[in-house]
Amino acid sequence: MALADGVRARLLTKEFRVLFSKYELDPVLTAAHDTGMPPPSKKPKPPVLRTKTQHLQVRNFGPIKSADITFGNLTVLVGPQASGKSILLQLLKLLVDTAQVKYEFRRAGVDWDDEFKLFMEVYFGEGMQRLFTSKSEMHLGSPEFFIKGDIKNEFKIDSRPSKQRIDLRDLVSKTKPRKQEKLFFVPAQRVLTLRGGWPDAFSYYESGVPFTVREFSEELRLLMTDAASDETLFPVPRRLKQEYRDLLKQHLFPGFDLKIDSNRAQKRLVLSASDGGGALPFMVWSAGQREFVPLLLSLYHLLTPAKTARRKGVEWVVIEELEMGLHPRAISVVMLMIFELMQRGYRVCISTHSPQVLEAVWALKHLRKSGANGRALLEVFNAPMTPGMIALADKVLKKSAKVYYFNRESGTTRDISQLDPEDEFDGESGWGGLSEFSGRANEVVARAVANAGRKEADDI
Amino acid sequence: MQGERKLMTFKEAIHQTPDVTDSWRQGLQALRAEDRPHVVAEDTRRLRGSADIDTAVLSKEPNANRWDFGIAYQHEDRNDEVIYWTEMHTGSDSEVKVVIKKAQWLVNWLKKSAPKLNAFECDIVWVSSGATSMTLSSPQQKLMAQVGLRHVGSKLRIKNKRG
Repeated sequence: MALADGVRARLLTKEFRVLFSKYELDPVLTAAHDTGMPPPSKKPKPPVLRTKTQHLQVRNFGPIKSADITFGNLTVLVGPQASGKSILLQLLKLLVDTAQVKYEFRRAGVDWDDEFKLFMEVYFGEGMQRLFTSKSEMHLGSPEFFIKGDIKNEFKIDSRPSKQRIDLRDLVSKTKPRKQEKLFFVPAQRVLTLRGGWPDAFSYYESGVPFTVREFSEELRLLMTDAASDETLFPVPRRLKQEYRDLLKQHLFPGFDLKIDSNRAQKRLVLSASDGGGALPFMVWSAGQREFVPLLLSLYHLLTPAKTARRKGVEWVVIEELEMGLHPRAISVVMLMIFELMQRGYRVCISTHSPQVLEAVWALKHLRKSGANGRALLEVFNAPMTPGMIALADKVLKKSAKVYYFNRESGTTRDISQLDPEDEFDGESGWGGLSEFSGRANEVVARAVANAGRKEADDI
Repeated sequence: MQGERKLMTFKEAIHQTPDVTDSWRQGLQALRAEDRPHVVAEDTRRLRGSADIDTAVLSKEPNANRWDFGIAYQHEDRNDEVIYWTEMHTGSDSEVKVVIKKAQWLVNWLKKSAPKLNAFECDIVWVSSGATSMTLSSPQQKLMAQVGLRHVGSKLRIKNKRG
């Protein structure tokens, strides 16, 4: 018996909700589905959903033979060194911000005279022109999800990314320079940008230094240009939530304030003892402090104190190896601030070698699945249960998180977002190699203990 | 020298252990039907039998935290059989202490009441009978390893090569 249109529409909506929940999609139903059933026809087309999810597909680009990444509100990339994580993130920046990349280069007097290989060298860094070959392909866009099947049977979901191939040479050649950036990139080499205690200008760097490092340094420089000598950069009221300031003070700057002072007329960053003691220049800070300060300044830039949630125009944030130099407690604080970025609507991508970051994602997914509230998430991070933090955690629990493993041997990526410790694929059960060592240590020790002092049966 | 004399089998050791003398069963037949799918042997012909320890010792030690099963396997890279002491139990961090107590009971029982079985190379494994919510890096795994116990998820996979 045929179902009434209204009933079928409600059933469809219910099925879609299940699918969205299963695949963590962010649905935007087409108008046809908002109003019920698709228009009747002899051969009804499968319902098509559009999602806000961005999909990046890369083929034959440096160490990457085949990568398919569907970005969530948070996307985490894991994998061994030189497996292509950083190259993919730099490529993402180039694809999203071609106009701004050209603008920055032009401003710094970098001109590759439309020679694409030279552009590759100045963008990705010296020796990287061979990343791109005649076999390289890439697509970036919103995939369309086709849902096939009868409403009574199980739906099949099939993601088909945009078939429009990006010609990188054309993109670089034809895009007009524009100042506005959409993707803020915090590179793994961030500590180098402050080596003298003050960030260098974009044009200070040699042209063989990757664009993302030069640009990050420039962003910091601009951020600090107007800061006065003797100005305190941390802690500062209205810069970051009080809760973050307290946690950072406790875990990263115990007994110190981050300040600007002047050494023979040259401004520089120092850590100044909160009790009025002496100032410590950049090179004597702890490794974690040196690594974290560039990240802190980035967060100042992104977590605007005004009523607007995001920095104007910026939609994406990429942070490479956020854990560098940090104690696990400090990593927890940084993860909370990553949540803050997500809650403000940024699409955040991070690469990591830290099992703790994946533990956090694993907790996020399972807490959401089990319907836990924000308090439980805060408990994971041992964070204060203030109304502001609870509201943040409640919102973050509704966000999607994706995890991708980069396999260096095969040059491919794999979606390991379920982080299933029982998955037959070692890359997923071992969380991209990050918990592999721990698992193996447990197994070897358990076996040794279980068999300690054993005698031959026939000798008993 | 191991290769010069006949090694005791799991079946013989069970028969020579008074507490469990009649407990040996072929293949995985000592396991409850619902538990058998949780054990995946690469070559089932290499299974050397199983024994339900829990049921066999029930009357003797009714209040103890008894262990579930022993499963023997002949690996291709070993002359002797290896016993997989297997506990089917809810996979949850909150159950770690309970399963550790069971493992401690097993170790004591093997020492005091089952020296023939205690002589075998073995693994002491906890197999989740329900959905697991444990991670490989959780401190509980370390605690378990220190008493010789490891959690293998919802499937005990026995490979031909022990390694």
